[in-house]
Amino acid sequence: MDRFRGAMTIRKKWAVLPGFVLLTVIAAIASAYTGAQQQQQPTVAPDTAPGALPSARATNKAPDTVIVNRGEWGYWGGSTPQGRSPEQPIAFPHPRHVQTLGMNCLYCHFAANKAMDPGLPAVNTCMGCHTVVTAQRPATDGLPARTSEGIEKLTTYWKNKQPIPWVRVHKVPDYVQFPHMRHVNAGVTCQTCHGQVQQMNRVYQYAPLNMGWCINCHIGNVNPAWKARYDCSTCHY
Amino acid sequence: MSDSATPVTEPKPGTSRRTFLKVLGAAGATTAAIGCSSETGEKLIPYLVHPDETVPGVSNYYASTCRECAVGCGVLLEVRDGRTFKVEGNPDHPLNRGALCSRGQASVQGLYNPDRYRQPMLRKNGALSPISWAQAITLLTQQLTSVQSSGKAGSALFINQHETGSFPGLLDTWLSGYGIPAHLSYAALAEGGVIAANKQSYGVAWPSLDFTAAKLVVSFGADFLETWGANVPQQLSFADARAKGADAPRVIYVGPRRSLTGMNADQWIACKPGSELAIANALADSGSVAQAAQASDVPVAKLQALAAEIAAGVPSLFLAGGSYEVALAVNGLNQKFGNVGRSVLTAKPIESFEGMSSDAELTDAIEKMRAGQVPLLLVRGANPVFTSPKSAKVAEAMAKVAFKVSFSSYPDETAELCDLVLPDSHAIESWGDAQSLPGVISLQQPGMDPVYDTRATADVLLAVAKAIPAQAGAHPTTNYREYLISRYPGGTTAFTSALIKGIGNGALSGERAKKGTAATTRSAANIEGTSGDMYLVVYPSPLLEDGSGANKPWLQEIPDPVTKVCWQTVVEMGTSAAARLAIDAGDVLKVETPSGSITAPAYIYPGLRGDTIAIAFGRGHTGYGRYAANVGVNPGDLLPVAFDAKSGSMAWTSTKVKVTKTGDFIPLVSTEGSARQHGRGIAQAIEAHELGIVPTPAEAEKEGTGEEHLPGDASHAFLPGLRAPVAQDAQGNLPSDDNKKGMYDPNHWSGMAKRRWAMTVDLARCTGCSACVTACYAENNIATVGAIHQSTATANLNGQAGANILRGREMAWIRLERYFEGGETLDDSFETRFVPMMCQQCGNAPCEPVCPVYATYHSPDGLNVQVYNRCVGTRYCSNNCPYKVRYFNWFGYGEPSRPQYAWPEKMNWQLNPDVTVRGKGVMEKCTFCVQRIRESEHRAKLEGRAVQPDEFTTSCAQACPSNAIIFGDAADPAWSVAKAIEDRRAYHVFEELNTFTAVVYLKKVNHSVAAGA
Repeated sequence: MDRFRGAMTIRKKWAVLPGFVLLTVIAAIASAYTGAQQQQQPTVAPDTAPGALPSARATNKAPDTVIVNRGEWGYWGGSTPQGRSPEQPIAFPHPRHVQTLGMNCLYCHFAANKAMDPGLPAVNTCMGCHTVVTAQRPATDGLPARTSEGIEKLTTYWKNKQPIPWVRVHKVPDYVQFPHMRHVNAGVTCQTCHGQVQQMNRVYQYAPLNMGWCINCHIGNVNPAWKARYDCSTCHY
Repeated sequence: MSDSATPVTEPKPGTSRRTFLKVLGAAGATTAAIGCSSETGEKLIPYLVHPDETVPGVSNYYASTCRECAVGCGVLLEVRDGRTFKVEGNPDHPLNRGALCSRGQASVQGLYNPDRYRQPMLRKNGALSPISWAQAITLLTQQLTSVQSSGKAGSALFINQHETGSFPGLLDTWLSGYGIPAHLSYAALAEGGVIAANKQSYGVAWPSLDFTAAKLVVSFGADFLETWGANVPQQLSFADARAKGADAPRVIYVGPRRSLTGMNADQWIACKPGSELAIANALADSGSVAQAAQASDVPVAKLQALAAEIAAGVPSLFLAGGSYEVALAVNGLNQKFGNVGRSVLTAKPIESFEGMSSDAELTDAIEKMRAGQVPLLLVRGANPVFTSPKSAKVAEAMAKVAFKVSFSSYPDETAELCDLVLPDSHAIESWGDAQSLPGVISLQQPGMDPVYDTRATADVLLAVAKAIPAQAGAHPTTNYREYLISRYPGGTTAFTSALIKGIGNGALSGERAKKGTAATTRSAANIEGTSGDMYLVVYPSPLLEDGSGANKPWLQEIPDPVTKVCWQTVVEMGTSAAARLAIDAGDVLKVETPSGSITAPAYIYPGLRGDTIAIAFGRGHTGYGRYAANVGVNPGDLLPVAFDAKSGSMAWTSTKVKVTKTGDFIPLVSTEGSARQHGRGIAQAIEAHELGIVPTPAEAEKEGTGEEHLPGDASHAFLPGLRAPVAQDAQGNLPSDDNKKGMYDPNHWSGMAKRRWAMTVDLARCTGCSACVTACYAENNIATVGAIHQSTATANLNGQAGANILRGREMAWIRLERYFEGGETLDDSFETRFVPMMCQQCGNAPCEPVCPVYATYHSPDGLNVQVYNRCVGTRYCSNNCPYKVRYFNWFGYGEPSRPQYAWPEKMNWQLNPDVTVRGKGVMEKCTFCVQRIRESEHRAKLEGRAVQPDEFTTSCAQACPSNAIIFGDAADPAWSVAKAIEDRRAYHVFEELNTFTAVVYLKKVNHSVAAGA
């Protein structure tokens, strides 16, 4: 009898495998279905109530600006996908500003070395130069005259007292706390995570921004000098 | 769509299996790549012009003044990216020294309240509809000028909330410009009788109290830890006194109901309602003890012992609540025993209560309205329709007023009857000042732009004055900020520098004349003359106060410190009365008086006399927004309009009632399991005289296990919380093999294990006020779950407030457990112990090994971490937790698309950006404010230094008005907590389970024996 019972157990164990396969298939179908539904949902514009002083951080965390297209599965979401390159309201040429003019990243992203957030330039930071460097440039210094569509848009935003609705490229999920200043001050260059932004006429997501990619660097695989804590509560709380 | 994602279509009907699988594959791939990303088109909105002094993601703190009650404590507004999301006490303010009560902390929920008026409103065809500010100011100006020209201005009326500072003076100047008499400065349920008696005895409305200078405190119904006077400064002083151990004062509470203050007393003398005067007179030798015993229904021996204890002449402090005569007699006791200048500091008065109008003045005004004599009524910050007894018929009287203007921010019962609503900005959005202490000006500055299209009333007054040429001369300043500066001693420079700390020296010039409370003679409340079988005690709820807190979900959800009931009004009934009338907890009772009747479930409370029932005031709103309306009942419906004869203050204990059982049953929305410890030793206490006992080495040797069997000794034989999960023994010693130690090795390169975060809770200081609970809700984005709109799908109490709580779904990471000791024989000798219970961060945590996905684990610095994104919601951890401090998201409280969403629009502006908002199906719990730990580490690293001892603390410890909680690094002797855990009173809860907790409790100290006995 004992032997027989043992055989039954083994047979039951074997039955588990097809069961899991079946469950996985059902899960895949359900996820595909909700995924398809999600894709068709319109995005909701963020709240830009005049009372609030909106900012990068506010749009990061305050749920009034979060776009609700979360399905039953994975409502918290993950990071934005690698290679993502959304169209921006103004086609901001990083190469012109960084390579041609030699501007430092921290001129605009002023908080990257002192705060969790890198800081997004206020419109008046742009206008600091573009009050002089205007949309219409006459032919000077051997360069032809040109009209800049981007600067024209910028000036329009400024005149209308409207902030520029930049589309976010990189985003880690809400449950990840990424302190920019710790990385920048440890000597991790902007390019390590963001790629050669100075060469990007349209910014795209260079890194996968998944946890394996984070940990790979934290354990010192990228640069032994950058070895850092990888305890869960370092980033997740 | 700008993204790289290809739109995926659903398989059409009739699609072949092959095509379907193709689509499925593609959809699956897309889901893997895109579907998991939460947002695809999120915008980053920059500033137009970057404000100075702000760095994104870094908080700024603005010193301001709390306006939730008349006291005016100093607060710090934590502001990030233009939003105020936390209010904490200002450590530099002499009044509250960094502490803040629940009501003050919940002011942000008033600021972001979803039901606030969003713009001015005018009554058109019976309903309020939006208008512009220009229209509103024109309308108000027209009304004022027409009232003035009609010659009836002398009968117009302005009712303002009672407050100190510049505003009352500005208001009276403004009113006089139209010939309108000075405003009524109204505070509902205020201690008008005590204020009048203090004026008489001491010459000040409210003296500061120094509990540390007393060895005996006797309170005659004065709830000094709750709503009686300046509760935060009083609690600070009381806790400091109780922390003195053997030298601490013994506290005796005299009254029919043992309130939170009474629970903190060592002895309760349960006297009949209204008999306090007889006892006070007997103690002052102006009446006999025997007569007092008969009048109060207290055994003669008890009163004789009390009299003897007082006569022994130790430094004492006598306090009274309620009526003028009792307060006067008790003040006489203070004078007789030399307490004035010692524990009653009349030279350091709390000026917040100066110039308050009496309830009788309000009633006179209401009668004038009823007679049709009032042409114009203006109300700001007061809600007399709700806070007056129903029998005063305020709403009917208001209907006789030709034009009614409200400055209320919220749609409260009074505002809803007005013709014009000019919503006031919240205190966090506006300028102001207060004079709480002599020589100290407390400044109020905005922490942010107004959330809605509201305006500060002071600015509206100035705008109206500007519109009338005749008035403009009296108001030269264009806005209220300028007005404040013009009055500030030292002008702009002094004002600007005082703003940094929020306080300045000096007195405000031309402040409203400090008038004594008008001496009125009223027919006194005659409780014995009313008919009924039980006395009714109505008291202001410690959390909701006069009902103004009812629209803040934190204050509704945090259980009442005494009853542990939330979202519900209960009829409190003594244990002996319940036995006599065969009433069980939850039996619905009908309470009747000639004025009206209410029905509410019974709550059986040992701290109530058998001939008395008690009902908390504060719930039972018919309006006031989604969190307040239709929650609980209003005991004001039962009360007659009766006064304390000499002071004209409303008498809240003034009638007998008829109590009958309806036969219905409503389950109590209570968060407590059992009020008894059942020998578990959760809340431990020792007697004061045992503190001095030190074991001799021989005794310690004899016991074999050290000191632990002797009273008053540290019963923990190991260092609290220092045990790492990989430790090989109870002392926390690590294995010698480095590989086994890993990050738990203090010498590990990450250095995390060098620190051991730990906490002590001093139960001798803790009063059970629950300010720590509010602070935790505010800091950690904890959802409230009891509102009506969150309750719809729940059975049992279906659709009523608190239905989720009834099923044990409350989310309070820290809760105040309240246990009764003794008193099983239905006598009044029971003792109450409070234990703040949060995650104990066990070094040997039962929750950790049962998690199948490693979502909870022990961090090297001693935290029991909960990784929300790893959690799959098996709830094994919660089942295995002996302390029951893990909370599960049964619904999507953090997801805006769900009906149970806890932060409807604008409420979500309060969310702390440093803390993840948890979703459905996730377990959550206290992690010692890990976000504050990491923030301090970041800050220290940025400044190139180590984290300094006591550099930061948790939210609960920061808020505590008793300074009962100390948090820090137990591994570094420089931190305060490292010293505190060495206290001889230290113990761990459930030490026998070998959980090696990082939270150490210090035993409560009882003073059962009379001082000097």
